[in-house]
Amino acid sequence: MYNDFAPILIFSVLSVAFIVIALFLQKILAPSNKGDLKSSIYECGEEIEIDARAQFNIRFYVVALIFLIFDVEVVLLFPWAVVFKDLGLVAFIEMLIFLGILTIGLVAVWRRGDLDWVKMEIPYALGRYANLDQAGSHDSAVEPGRD
Amino acid sequence: MTNLQSTAYFLPELLITGFAVLIVLIDVFIGRAGRNRVIWTLSLTAVVVVGVALYVQPVPGEALFYGSLAADPFSRFFKWIFLLATAIIYFISPYTRQLKDTAQNEYYLFLLLVMLGMFLMASALDLIIIYLSIEIVSIGSFVLAGFLKSDRLSNESSLKYVIYGAFSSGIMLYGLTLLFGLAGSTSIFDVQEALANLPQGSELMALVALVMILVGFGYKISMVPFHFWTPDVYQGAPTTITAYLSVAPKAAGFALLLRVLGITFGADPSIPWEEWVPLTGLPFGVLIAVFAALTMTIGNVLAIQQDSVKRMLAYSSVAHAGYMLMAVTLMNAQALQAIMFYLAVYLFMNLGAFVVAIVVHNQFGYDDIDDWKGLGFKIPLIAVPMGIFLFGLTGLPPTAGFIGKVYLFAVLIAAKQFWWLAVVGVLNSVVSLYYYMRILKVMFMDGEPVDKTVSDHPAMTATVLALMVPVLLLGVYWSPLLELIRSSLRIFSPGL
Repeated sequence: MYNDFAPILIFSVLSVAFIVIALFLQKILAPSNKGDLKSSIYECGEEIEIDARAQFNIRFYVVALIFLIFDVEVVLLFPWAVVFKDLGLVAFIEMLIFLGILTIGLVAVWRRGDLDWVKMEIPYALGRYANLDQAGSHDSAVEPGRD
Repeated sequence: MTNLQSTAYFLPELLITGFAVLIVLIDVFIGRAGRNRVIWTLSLTAVVVVGVALYVQPVPGEALFYGSLAADPFSRFFKWIFLLATAIIYFISPYTRQLKDTAQNEYYLFLLLVMLGMFLMASALDLIIIYLSIEIVSIGSFVLAGFLKSDRLSNESSLKYVIYGAFSSGIMLYGLTLLFGLAGSTSIFDVQEALANLPQGSELMALVALVMILVGFGYKISMVPFHFWTPDVYQGAPTTITAYLSVAPKAAGFALLLRVLGITFGADPSIPWEEWVPLTGLPFGVLIAVFAALTMTIGNVLAIQQDSVKRMLAYSSVAHAGYMLMAVTLMNAQALQAIMFYLAVYLFMNLGAFVVAIVVHNQFGYDDIDDWKGLGFKIPLIAVPMGIFLFGLTGLPPTAGFIGKVYLFAVLIAAKQFWWLAVVGVLNSVVSLYYYMRILKVMFMDGEPVDKTVSDHPAMTATVLALMVPVLLLGVYWSPLLELIRSSLRIFSPGL
């Protein structure tokens, strides 16, 4: 049975050998004259602003997570839609329940204010965005979500 | 059984889901004042309602949801353990000082969801359900471990837990795909059939899959060498969560280990499990025996050096996983019975010890063992039960821990196999005596008697005393529990 896997073994050995040989060959054959300009990152001719490994706002994660949930929901809807006619009413109700639970999640996120980029109601935001608040964009009816 | 028919036997899980959704809605639509109280009451109600549903739910003749979930007495026994653990943790949470200034809405919600995941773990019959249920439990636990947002240790524990969890479940998933590749089906019965019909000389495939799956399961029960997260997570997480993680997900991990490994890697799962034998050519017993010996030895030896009570109890919980793994080597009906008995007893002993740690932290803010000096005089009503829990964890009579350990060792002795493992187990019990008794010594023999005794909230004292009762009672009169376990196991072994 293991003979069936022999091509995979040969393939892996060959692919590793290929990389090693290629890197080794270019090391000895290629001319090497390093400079600041040459070792800088090429980004379509644009100059680099900052290091990509910077800290960024944690709210990007929240948005990414919310996006992910609804993205996966759509992925699940596609196979369901394909076989929907064969499965009938039960599958329809099952999917409604699933979407219902997701909608409740959306309602929760909404009420907690996670959909607003500028969260006026959390304490530290009032310092940073205090002038925005005076401009009248703050909806004071929103109940504080985070404690 | 089709999906629609299955829902009738799936009521406890559906109720948990319903209550979880309700908690989310209440969380966002009720004002902050009194919200913790409302959600706490609702969560306790949920546990009671689910318990009633579990009690009245009939046993179906076949597996639910096209053979992917079992609703048999075996899973029901484990579900009782999960429910009991969750109920106790819910009950003591409002009286825990660590959680005082936190918004407990998410805390209760995630505990409920973790319980749902464990319910599924105990009844999984399908590779996808196995993976899914483990993930539900894991992700909930990650959040709960990091629940003290402003505490650095708590954050650290959560991050370590996530990294270990992702890594081990990834390896386990690879093992599961190997099994799926062999069988072309996700049902563990089909996988067993495919493994049993493997051509001669290809047992290596089954062994690789077994080891990979053990990474995932071993992570859940904190089996050495997949235990590295245990001490840090147990120390950093809120103590209520530590208590919960040391009992409930561990029991769920064992439920998976027993059912899934027993069926998948057994030579013939239909025979009565009195004579369970692994697949021919698979060194199942030896493999598990080595893991068991490593787990108890490393757990116990490292526990000796700990100065933090929570860390010490963490290593002790690693060691207890090792004791229970001892019986997994044989996997026969007697072993299942011994492990289930030990898990039930361990629930009371270990939760008890952790509740005492919470009380001490509430009153004095201590976690270091040396600070526990003279606690036997200051809070006698808590310290004396702690002594009994520690006796139980060591395995001394007349506590239930002794009976549990006797059954575990009896499995090896009766089968006349793995004598060396039994010897290692006994030696380890001696080692564990040292560090358990160290706490007792510090509490009762160091420090001076004081005139005034301190007492915590009556609910906490009542919980400690209530947990002490079964530890003592099951040590002298354990036949009802044993009968319950035997009746849960008759599906595997009708003669039991």
